[in-house]
Amino acid sequence: MPNHIRVEILRMLRNKRYVIFVVAFPVVLYVLFCNIVAGQASSGGGGAAAYLMVSMGAYGALSASIMSTAVPWAQERQAGWLRQLQITPLPGWSIILTKLVSTLLLALPSLALVFVVAMTTQGVSLAPGRWALLFLGMWIGILPFAALGLAVGSLVPPDTAQPAAMIGMFGLAILGGLWFPVDTMPATMQTIAHALPSFSYADIGWNLVSGQAPPLQDVVTTLVWAVVLGAAAVFAYRRATARA
Amino acid sequence: MNAIAFTDVSRSYGNVLAVDGLNLTVETGRTVALLGPNGAGKSTSINMLLGLIRPSGGRIELFGRPPEQAVARGEVGAMLQDGELIPELTVRELVDFVRGLYPEPLDLDAILQMADLTDLAGRRAGKLSGGQSQRVRFALAVAGAPRLLVLDEPTAAMDVESRQRFWAAMRDYAAGGRTVLFATHYLEEADENSDRVIVVARGRVVADGTAAQIKAKAGGHAVRFTLDGQSAAGLDALPGVSAVEVTGGTATLRTADPDATVAALYRGTSLEIRDLRLAGADLEDAFLALTREP
Repeated sequence: MPNHIRVEILRMLRNKRYVIFVVAFPVVLYVLFCNIVAGQASSGGGGAAAYLMVSMGAYGALSASIMSTAVPWAQERQAGWLRQLQITPLPGWSIILTKLVSTLLLALPSLALVFVVAMTTQGVSLAPGRWALLFLGMWIGILPFAALGLAVGSLVPPDTAQPAAMIGMFGLAILGGLWFPVDTMPATMQTIAHALPSFSYADIGWNLVSGQAPPLQDVVTTLVWAVVLGAAAVFAYRRATARA
Repeated sequence: MNAIAFTDVSRSYGNVLAVDGLNLTVETGRTVALLGPNGAGKSTSINMLLGLIRPSGGRIELFGRPPEQAVARGEVGAMLQDGELIPELTVRELVDFVRGLYPEPLDLDAILQMADLTDLAGRRAGKLSGGQSQRVRFALAVAGAPRLLVLDEPTAAMDVESRQRFWAAMRDYAAGGRTVLFATHYLEEADENSDRVIVVARGRVVADGTAAQIKAKAGGHAVRFTLDGQSAAGLDALPGVSAVEVTGGTATLRTADPDATVAALYRGTSLEIRDLRLAGADLEDAFLALTREP
């Protein structure tokens, strides 16, 4: 499996779409948003930069976990690469587990890059322990999105997976308040936002950077989504690889 | 021991019976061609043999085990009809990765050499031609040194020269005592590269034997020679001959047994035979003869 993971990582790092949209885009957006906020008012300062760091880090990790799963996986299924793997001694569970582990690793660059830029150019500073907790939480917290991407990739052909991944990614990012704070939304939208894993996931980060403990409700919401989407991913994978 | 054993295997898709009570065994170490027209059930049989689809009825065993177990033990390698590669990986990376999945694989450089990929090792799969990709898929099939190699219409995207090299590589691989089963709809390929041909049509075995036996059964050979002004009378009575045509001074005898026909032509007639030519069984004729409804 380590070799399989290495191969999966290698191919994504060579994929221009991944590098541009997943690794570069969030950090560019982050710098852009910071400048807009700084130009608007002097109120936020370090607080706004830290808040945006979580938002854009979350957006980057979210897009990494959906983009590196749904479309490549749908393509591999359709194009016969999955069959090629199925006729080797590689067990089925290892194929999907490798995808999941690879996705976790592939979310690291965008997350780390946003954090480093926040630290070095926007003056965001936290205690070392809090950085570690934030990084770990925002990393493990992408599990629901990775599961969602894998489920989509198992269920639909690549032509459909592409728009489905886009809608899922932008839908979760915007409705979950990663681009515009949930507080500025109408009441109904806020109710929707609070039920989404993208909000609960980012809210853990927002609380951590403002010096508070993450609310239990956020942790529970994220976990429930991880379990539900994880079950969906396993079900979809079994359906996709079942011997007809 | 039998490498492959199909016992009363059938498979239907809805109302369509793709494989209809297939019985066949292949001994270890043989190179066998599965010959049949499109839609004969070749690919379905191969996919069942690899454990990718389940038979509707009957039993399949590879080396005495169910297909999934044989695959899990690394005893089987296969080249399927449709199989794209990961475009961002190089040929070497792909081959090395797949080879690492097997318990006792071949040496990487040996695989690349066998599949004629040494010069392409550093190229990304997305930049390969159809024939080159086909060679990579062959390399992936043999990488794990499987005891059974299965090839589903392996030369489909290749030009003539690539085909010849491909079959030479296949024979090299088979020479180590390994079993090879390949599907094709080209009679010539089956003839030149196997020591046994199993002809399937409508999901059943319709003929099974050496290429020569199959051809004889198909009755598709043609013996041609220059007749000029000589009489064609009596040619249709020669052994094996089923039809005689004379066009532009050339006689064409359709025969099931060209050896007997030619011998009788020289010994049994007083004709002056010039420009004698022998053509192999014609694909169309062979299939028509073998797959005709009884």
